[in-house]
Amino acid sequence: MQYSQKVLDHFMHPRNVGKMDNPDATATEGSPACGDQVTVFLKVNEQDMTIEDISFLSYGCASNIATASIVTDLAKGKTLDEAKQITWRDAMEALDGLPPVKVHCSVLAADTLQTAISNYEIAHGLKEVPNFSKETIVEELKKIIYPKVGEDIVSLKMVKYVGLNDGEVLIDLNIMSFDQWRDNIAEEIREHLEKYPEVKDIQINFP
Amino acid sequence: MKPGRIYLDNCVTTRPAPEVLQAMQPYFEEKYWFPGNFVSTGETINEDIDQFRHTIAQTIGASAGELQFCSGGTLANNIAIKGLGFAYSSQGRHAIVSVVDYPDLLTNAAYLEKHGFDVTYLNADAEGKVNPVELRRAIRPDTIIFMTTAVNHVIGTIQPLAEFKKVLQAADHKIHFHVDAGQAYGKIPLNVEELGIDTMSISAHKIHGPQGIGALYVRHGVKLGQLIHGVKRFDAMQTGGLSIALIAGFAKAAELVFADFDATQAHLRELSNYLLQQLEKNIPEIELNGPRGEGRAPHNINVSIAYIEGEAITMMLDMKGITVATGSACASQGLKANYVLMAIGKNHVQSHGSMKFTLSRFTTKDELDETVAALAEISGELRKRSPLYSATHKEK
Repeated sequence: MQYSQKVLDHFMHPRNVGKMDNPDATATEGSPACGDQVTVFLKVNEQDMTIEDISFLSYGCASNIATASIVTDLAKGKTLDEAKQITWRDAMEALDGLPPVKVHCSVLAADTLQTAISNYEIAHGLKEVPNFSKETIVEELKKIIYPKVGEDIVSLKMVKYVGLNDGEVLIDLNIMSFDQWRDNIAEEIREHLEKYPEVKDIQINFP
Repeated sequence: MKPGRIYLDNCVTTRPAPEVLQAMQPYFEEKYWFPGNFVSTGETINEDIDQFRHTIAQTIGASAGELQFCSGGTLANNIAIKGLGFAYSSQGRHAIVSVVDYPDLLTNAAYLEKHGFDVTYLNADAEGKVNPVELRRAIRPDTIIFMTTAVNHVIGTIQPLAEFKKVLQAADHKIHFHVDAGQAYGKIPLNVEELGIDTMSISAHKIHGPQGIGALYVRHGVKLGQLIHGVKRFDAMQTGGLSIALIAGFAKAAELVFADFDATQAHLRELSNYLLQQLEKNIPEIELNGPRGEGRAPHNINVSIAYIEGEAITMMLDMKGITVATGSACASQGLKANYVLMAIGKNHVQSHGSMKFTLSRFTTKDELDETVAALAEISGELRKRSPLYSATHKEK
């Protein structure tokens, strides 16, 4: 398994790394238990709504650091609306690709940027706190990468059913028992959904 | 690999000693024959093999007839564990292993389980040691095998083999004692007679011998079901051909390690003590995994470095020309935290931040100094980037 030169460059010489004093918004995603965590800090120009400054901290592997570096680089100087369009696929492309088992790192970096922007907008009355719904769950599932191929489980049609009833989440996945990634994926789904206070219980079913 | 590289991953494989390469050479060029009877070419090889077998058997207190060559430690483990299972299943179908054992043992235990055996998985204490009292409690009338890893492959813990022997011999029926000695052979004294071992796997490339050759000790009188079928060239258990050159290299490597065993071990112990002392002195908030001192094999140091992740550390060291290993999930193909560290009660962060240094007799103090200096710098840099560090440490 090899990293591209761009990944190595951003890992060894990360852009925008470090804690920011008095940021306008921050967000932290991931958890030490999963082995990766990213914090993003934003400074926003209120006149033209551009990202004036951005920085990150990362606990994680080389691709974690490199993807956080590239995502912050892509967002710097953009308007919030432009930055909202940045996805993990953009980060991947800008880094000349990542090994499939490492794609989830780019999702974490892009996700943290989006949460930071969302936190800014909510704090400044630009948007409401979104209601938790079935769509929220599907959006979270789109962030779960199947490590064997480096694509998300929704695009790969691995999600058969999503249900939400009074805080109880029910997910049917089309992943066989002999699949070595099955437990990883279930664990990651729980990690993504447990952060919502609306979620009381998560049930994941396999064939 | 660039010359001058510092290699501290000797638990995986080691650099072949120059004398080993020399000992192998004639079997590629002049004596490229196979064993055989009544012809001088075959008889020459018969004699050489007998000598090599004797040399290696001696180092573990066995007789030459009890040693079978095979392609490596993993095959030796398979031949022994499955072989014992096949041969003695009529006497019972219960095996005992521990959760911290080498994957060879755990996967073979799982195989036995799939084929109708019950397996008891013993826990280990916080230093990775399996308690002989737990072993005694796990023994049942149908127990036929107990297997253990003499030196733990992750944290270097030495298992109390002599105490295991007492427990097994006190049982009121025969329980076969299989030992994986991949990490232990050449690092700690192992006498199969004194330790009551029935089968034991050893490997050449862990002791500066060539890759691709190992041996299985099988006590006289112990039966093994046949795993591999085919033409008998050397030994009954791994049928087919083996490289004579590799066997010659194996014997030379064993001869070198055991020529001055005590001095070599004392030197390794001094080096690893020095490494640990320097790590603890130069890198704050670092923690040793596994036992301190005599309870661990002399070539292994495993530490967790708080707030940072092992794959990133390993890669940065690699760019500085230093090879080490980590227990981080991110560096593993399966994205899972190291099972040995988790089994001894470490948390995910400790496992992700764990670094394993395994030394050899070719390791020098200068190399260790260079490694500690590089690691101190890298830890400082990665901690500056870490939200976990930043949350608990004010910037100066």
